[in-house]
Amino acid sequence: MKEVKIEVIGPDPPCMRCQATKKVAEKVAEKFRESGIMVEVEKANIISKEIVGKYGVLISPALSVNGVVKFMGRIPSESEVEKSLKEILEREV
Amino acid sequence: MRKIRTIILVLFVLTVIGLLVYSRVMAYSLAPTMKPADFHGLAIWEIPIAYLIDYFSHGWICLLFAFVAAGLVYEFVPKEAITRYMSSGRIVGYGLAIGIAPFLTVCSCTMVPLFTGVLYAGAGIGPAITFMLMAPSSNILSILLTGELISWELAGVRIVASLVVALVAGIVVSKTPWGKAVEKEHQITAPAGQASVDIVKPPLDERLLAALKFATYIAKQILPFFLLGLVIVGYVEAYLPEEIVGTYLTGITGVLLASVIGGPLYTPTLVEIVLGRGMWQLGMSKGALLSWLMGQPYDVANALAVSKIARWKVVLTYMIIAWAGSVTFGLTYGMLSGSI
Repeated sequence: MKEVKIEVIGPDPPCMRCQATKKVAEKVAEKFRESGIMVEVEKANIISKEIVGKYGVLISPALSVNGVVKFMGRIPSESEVEKSLKEILEREV
Repeated sequence: MRKIRTIILVLFVLTVIGLLVYSRVMAYSLAPTMKPADFHGLAIWEIPIAYLIDYFSHGWICLLFAFVAAGLVYEFVPKEAITRYMSSGRIVGYGLAIGIAPFLTVCSCTMVPLFTGVLYAGAGIGPAITFMLMAPSSNILSILLTGELISWELAGVRIVASLVVALVAGIVVSKTPWGKAVEKEHQITAPAGQASVDIVKPPLDERLLAALKFATYIAKQILPFFLLGLVIVGYVEAYLPEEIVGTYLTGITGVLLASVIGGPLYTPTLVEIVLGRGMWQLGMSKGALLSWLMGQPYDVANALAVSKIARWKVVLTYMIIAWAGSVTFGLTYGMLSGSI
């Protein structure tokens, strides 16, 4: 079974735009789960040292797929997130 | 489908720009035209209504343009390039903090993360402070509104003044023992490569739509406060006697007083601009007006968030520098412009 991990990176407590981003991610995850691909959505704290150490300076809301930041400073649309998930899945096959 | 959407969105943006140009060409005033004297004789409940109608009959073009511009700039500014350079050297850090702050900070939720990002992985505490002080005073929304509602001269002076203050505060804090301690405690090595960041380039229509959505979002955040501010300003202009303003908000006392009360009253919601304008109409000097507008460093919400990461000593240091800066610039500008 293929697995994808999405991180929604924003401040804690989450700002409105980060919550909106998370909702988009969860909707996409739901769609992929229906077709048998496990997509895990996690929230990450943008001001934690761990995240800054991993990604460098970010602008929130940011969204990473399997440890690579794909979107930042904007709320991506569902189709955009879907597309980048598909790209990553194809590459891993 | 995608093409049609792009065309519609581009047309909308062009219309907004066109409206502003048109109002310029026709020499419309986008600021309220009522004078304090016009309010005398109105009933209490009529004042805010009259003021709001007066404001919106002129101001809607300016507001619409300001929000759309802020959304577009925020969307199209090359964020990944900025964040990459943010973690290079110190001088680059200061330069970026100054150059970029105006474009990125319409949303307060980006401020604190960027501050900590720059502090942890980037150019250190100096540029982080510079960025944070520069941001609220010179973002594209407040510059546009200062220019339209008060004067472009003052908008320009405000940028220069806040730039100098932010730079000085950043450099001074980074030289203090407590500033250095905070920096040392938090510094971590940033990832070597940028392999962990690979931003997807979205198509133009998605970007335009995102820009307009963001414009709506900031408008929703700011407008309620802005409207409340206008109502208050209506009452201030109607009831605050000009003698009081003339006595207390001019001269050296005026600058000092404006710099002190401008602080706690500061909310990053453009209210300070309308309120400042109201006081200015009632006779506050230009020098005091500048000090008033430079009250942003005391923004309590930001200071609290920062004091959690940096220490209160750092917060206190930059606040004192910012206050001294607003007094100095207020006095200098007052003297140079002959309105103190």
